[in-house]
Amino acid sequence: MKLIVTRPQHDVTTRYISAWAEEVIAFAKVKSIEVIDLIKDKAKRKELEGRIKKLLPRLIFLNGHGDHDSVAGQDNDVLIKAGDNHDLLAGKITYALSCNSGETLGPKVVENKNTSYIGYKDDFIFVADGRYVAKPLDDPRAKPFMESSNQVMMSILKGHSTQEASDRSRDVFREHYIKLTSSTTDIDSLQAAQFLWWNMRNQVCLGDKDSKI
Amino acid sequence: MEDKATKDILSDEEVRRLVLARLSVLSSDTMISLGSEGSFTRDELVKRVENGDAIGEKLAEIQMEWLRSFKSEVEMSA
Repeated sequence: MKLIVTRPQHDVTTRYISAWAEEVIAFAKVKSIEVIDLIKDKAKRKELEGRIKKLLPRLIFLNGHGDHDSVAGQDNDVLIKAGDNHDLLAGKITYALSCNSGETLGPKVVENKNTSYIGYKDDFIFVADGRYVAKPLDDPRAKPFMESSNQVMMSILKGHSTQEASDRSRDVFREHYIKLTSSTTDIDSLQAAQFLWWNMRNQVCLGDKDSKI
Repeated sequence: MEDKATKDILSDEEVRRLVLARLSVLSSDTMISLGSEGSFTRDELVKRVENGDAIGEKLAEIQMEWLRSFKSEVEMSA
């Protein structure tokens, strides 16, 4: 079993999601899954296309900026684009921690049989603390967002179906949302809760919902 | 922001004031990552909303959708 992860790191957003993807990579290794970690300059289209064709991974975890019909890598190099190379994800389970790609790219990908795509149909938004930019994994404000997102991959790696993984992720979003809305000490909590709700609402599980590794 | 359901709840100006009120109480070191638009500090976001640019519009949309979700819940439980 192989997992390809793309982890660009060219701005604050990509540095955060890249750092938090380490948790998923570590867990995949515990599960004896071979991880191909396309980090920084390796998170480029040519590299990703080559690895997918050669290694035939079952799982793809894309981290990076995106829009309705594409997901990007390092320096916003477009990795996967609807109508161009989206068939590379055929027969695979893909989770895209990226904005908007659940709108057009995801539906296009899952036109292929036995294919699953979990992503977001609008912007993925998170709150961070400016004092932790150099150490994103220690950032308590980012933690609820990243834990909720990571739950998708953690659940899939535990053997749950894609629909179950998405449901469990949305449950974690909801748990953090409830905690934050009931906080009486954190002045940022209500705004953070609103963005958690937004992400939970926009996460979509498309295609084969019973897919498992 | 122009649909009837939205107008039934709050005007655009009221939503903008609500978003500004919420942002203005955030900690000064809070950053918000808004997807491909980038990461912004509290003060940068306040300016964006005041200027009514795309970022400000997005925050207003989220605020409005959030309020609308409560309205739906109330209607469903009535």
